[in-house]
Amino acid sequence: MQLRSLLSRIVLAVLGACLVLFIIGPLLRLLFFASPQSLGEALRDTELRDSIALTVFTATAATLIAALFGVPLAYLLARRNFRGRRLVQGLIELPVVVPHPVAGIALLLFLGRRSQVGGIFAEMGLEFVSHVPGIVAAMLFVSAPILVSGAREAFRGVDPQLERVARTLGDSAWGAFRRVTLPLAGRGVLAGSILAWSRSVSEFGSIVILTYNPKVASIYIFDRFTTFGLQAAVPATVILLLVALTVLIIVRVLQPQERQ
Amino acid sequence: MIRLENLHVRVGTFDLRDISLEVPKGGYALIIGPTGSGKTTLLEAVAGHAPLRAGRVFMHDDEVTHLPPERRGLGFVYQQYHLFPHLSVRDNIGYGIRRPGAGNRTANPAARVAELADMLAIEPLLDRPVRGLSGGEQQRVALARALAPKPSILLLDEPFAAVDPATRQVLRRELRELHEREGITTLQVTHDFDEALRLGDLVAVLSEGRIAQSGTPEQVFRYPNSAFVARFVGTGNVIAGTVQRVDAADGPGPFRARFTGGSLTLDVVAEREGSMHAVLRPEDIVLSLTHHAGSARNHMQGKVVRLERLGPVTLVHLDVGRPLIASLTTQSVDEMTLKPGVPVMVAFKATAILLV
Repeated sequence: MQLRSLLSRIVLAVLGACLVLFIIGPLLRLLFFASPQSLGEALRDTELRDSIALTVFTATAATLIAALFGVPLAYLLARRNFRGRRLVQGLIELPVVVPHPVAGIALLLFLGRRSQVGGIFAEMGLEFVSHVPGIVAAMLFVSAPILVSGAREAFRGVDPQLERVARTLGDSAWGAFRRVTLPLAGRGVLAGSILAWSRSVSEFGSIVILTYNPKVASIYIFDRFTTFGLQAAVPATVILLLVALTVLIIVRVLQPQERQ
Repeated sequence: MIRLENLHVRVGTFDLRDISLEVPKGGYALIIGPTGSGKTTLLEAVAGHAPLRAGRVFMHDDEVTHLPPERRGLGFVYQQYHLFPHLSVRDNIGYGIRRPGAGNRTANPAARVAELADMLAIEPLLDRPVRGLSGGEQQRVALARALAPKPSILLLDEPFAAVDPATRQVLRRELRELHEREGITTLQVTHDFDEALRLGDLVAVLSEGRIAQSGTPEQVFRYPNSAFVARFVGTGNVIAGTVQRVDAADGPGPFRARFTGGSLTLDVVAEREGSMHAVLRPEDIVLSLTHHAGSARNHMQGKVVRLERLGPVTLVHLDVGRPLIASLTTQSVDEMTLKPGVPVMVAFKATAILLV
């Protein structure tokens, strides 16, 4: 019996290890493929620096917009049992299952100058296709679900009875939210926002259709790869990977300890 | 003072209906009932957390039916305490009186926190996080937090359910003392009738969303108005059966009758005929080893099944063709050397039987 349990443990460990190795193997290979000199060179390349700055800026803008509209929605989904809640929840998660080029084409049709919505925005001086707002729109589309579901789970983790207690102690609904729910859910909401931000940074499929130029980092890498080959693409790739790793570490630190 | 007039609350498919109750100023009322009878929903409705479908709520002669919870001036202690996990004990207690900006109701919040901590003996805990407090400590903190803004009404939802029996006894006594000292009108929910007997001036028994009976704990205990209440408050033996008049006269008022329930036939004093329940208090049953002609009109042969010793009192579980419980002093149980299997004579008066 003990032998069997030992055996089953070994089998489980080996299976798990295979997958973990498959994930870290390529990343480690990538990290060691680039020489420190080539990284330094890449960082001096203004085109790469611009693309990283553009990526950070657009991803931040997309995350702020997603938070502005998404956090109240997340609270609503977590707390209120309204008609059509499941439908809204399903719709919000739709971008996760839509292939990203499909999202890009849909956005192109929706926000292009000749579309009604795009026309209205164009009159206001906001152009999407081949412009920076197009990048933000694509990022928003793919990352908003992550922010909303992260924030929703964070709000769900706060016992609604705590808000009721705060109400009987004299807080208005808003006061209870601000003094109890937000401090308790804040870390989770922030973690969801950072995940959404990093999802924006990594987006390629829809941006490539909506706004190839100016280039965000992922498109810059793709462009280097197709134009100059593997060697030319690697340094920028490594830099983007390091950014992603940093974000992951921050999220892990922020996530509530109880879940472990 | 709390006055509820014909409240109707619906939560999901559960209905709380026709709830009318008045707790006088400074009174201590208990709502008792089994799990799922709507006790907590009733408290939430009083606090303003559960929307009313009908009815009105008054506090101190003012109607508060449409006021939000924060404007009702009440304290609420939940069964699970619900202390704010991100705040220290001190900040939990001070939550209701240390509001940032305008609206501070207490002139010196720090002094009020210290006063309550002293009263409830939790001073050493003030700077601790709430995580890691024992059940009894959490209970005291929750109570201090609710009392800090000096509410005139206190709502308690099973406040002693999650603490050990020894702590429960201490807390009960403290709560009663606190109630007397601060004169707060209190409405407490419990499933434990013993608690109602010890604490309440007034008790309302809730069954499936309706008040089955209300009155002083003594009244409810001695004169339950239904088999449900009799069983729930533990009045004693409840036997289903039918009542048939036996005396010839048919004038108004009580009459002699025969109650038949299963294999039992009892002499009773009834006010109406038909099917009903006979309630017989354990302490009204007299046991003897030999047959002697007493004044009791009901006699039967029985057998001791089991003794349940509760300190000075012992419950004697009997078999008289159906189970029956008698309550004797432990001293007389020992004098009679009662033990399982011993045959006994069981007697009780016709007037000891309550028909509901």
